[in-house]
Amino acid sequence: MPGIDECLLEAMRLPGARGASVVDWTSGLALGTVGDSPNGDHEATAAEAAELARLAAEHKAFAPEEGADWSGGQPPVEDLIISNRDSYHVLRFVRTTFDSSVFLHLWLGRSDGNLALARIRLGEMAERLVVG
Amino acid sequence: MEAGPLPGLGRPDPDPSGRPDGADRQAGAPPVLSPMLSRLAEERATGVLTRDRGVLYLVEGQVVHAESPATPGLDVLLTSRGALGSDGWWEAVSQAGAERRVGRFLVDSGRLAAGALELCHLGALYDAAFFTLGASSGPARFRYGVAHWIGPVRPVTVDAVERETLRRRALLHRIWPDPDTDTAELVRTGRAVDAVLPPRQRTVLDQVDGERTVSDISRVLGRPGFHTLVDVRRLAAAGIVTTRARTVECRAPETVAPPVSPMSPVSTATARAAQAAQASADPDVALLRRLRDALEAL
Repeated sequence: MPGIDECLLEAMRLPGARGASVVDWTSGLALGTVGDSPNGDHEATAAEAAELARLAAEHKAFAPEEGADWSGGQPPVEDLIISNRDSYHVLRFVRTTFDSSVFLHLWLGRSDGNLALARIRLGEMAERLVVG
Repeated sequence: MEAGPLPGLGRPDPDPSGRPDGADRQAGAPPVLSPMLSRLAEERATGVLTRDRGVLYLVEGQVVHAESPATPGLDVLLTSRGALGSDGWWEAVSQAGAERRVGRFLVDSGRLAAGALELCHLGALYDAAFFTLGASSGPARFRYGVAHWIGPVRPVTVDAVERETLRRRALLHRIWPDPDTDTAELVRTGRAVDAVLPPRQRTVLDQVDGERTVSDISRVLGRPGFHTLVDVRRLAAAGIVTTRARTVECRAPETVAPPVSPMSPVSTATARAAQAAQASADPDVALLRRLRDALEAL
């Protein structure tokens, strides 16, 4: 059964992975980090990513037509994808059976990264992290 | 009960540890949260640090566990939403408590995924540490050799805990600078609630009944205390929630005989402002009052 570190190391094995972290989006706390971060400071990156994740989770505009009700107390959004000239960011919400506000953040190089694969794998990792 | 300078803007100093204990307190730099804790980290101490708002357990100078009455413990967090049955929790405590490896037991026996335990425990640790290292904390004492029965889960450095505590204070301050709602009984202001209030805030608001405090609400919801603190500061910033004391203070001029002497200039001013607010049906007055409160709290 993987813990936080195993989960992050697995994320780093994805092609093009530059850095990964587990972040609490209410506080902006990085619960675990591995690899590099875009501004050389995992904690600052976590706080910034947390703000983005919170907006996406809380605004109804990004929820599905049915099921914006946070059934089980979990956000209706699955993931966020950001692309820029040289990299991708994938933020995947982690659904837990206790009250939490956690997401996985993967930073991928654009030239060697595979966004579709990363998105699928990150979803699987988010599930295994809390279900085992 | 605000104490110590808050870094109002920007990030706190990323590394407050390189400073001699207790120095720079006047200089506007973030204070060393606990000189004793820094010393214990340096000497790689094992034991429990007790302050008036909570406890921190150390193993070889690293923080392995923290508890505070202000935030629900791991048992409440794990059982209140069904991640773990309360039977499962107590069985783990009775089976593995004596050996001080309850966390390990929960994972090894298949009751909880390792990641779930780490996420929940780590969140609870930073949360309890935030309250334990609160600015109003009094003297601390340390008992060497004491270990917690949860056992090792995911130790973090004292530096990381102190840095995060300072960052959280700054975060709260940025949302709404008045700390009164952190500890007082909360009431709704009667202000119309925005239909698109975020669900986590709405859940908190539903628990505001004039009696409960942030820590009461956290326990009812099985939610980390700091999360509730953040949502309540947002609700306060939106003018939806305030402290019970403040509404009583504002209503006082209507029900009590005109104040003669014992009132301080500040509360007289508040009373006058409250009278002005009640005299006018203009909703802008309420806004101005909140603005004034915020400015006073800066």
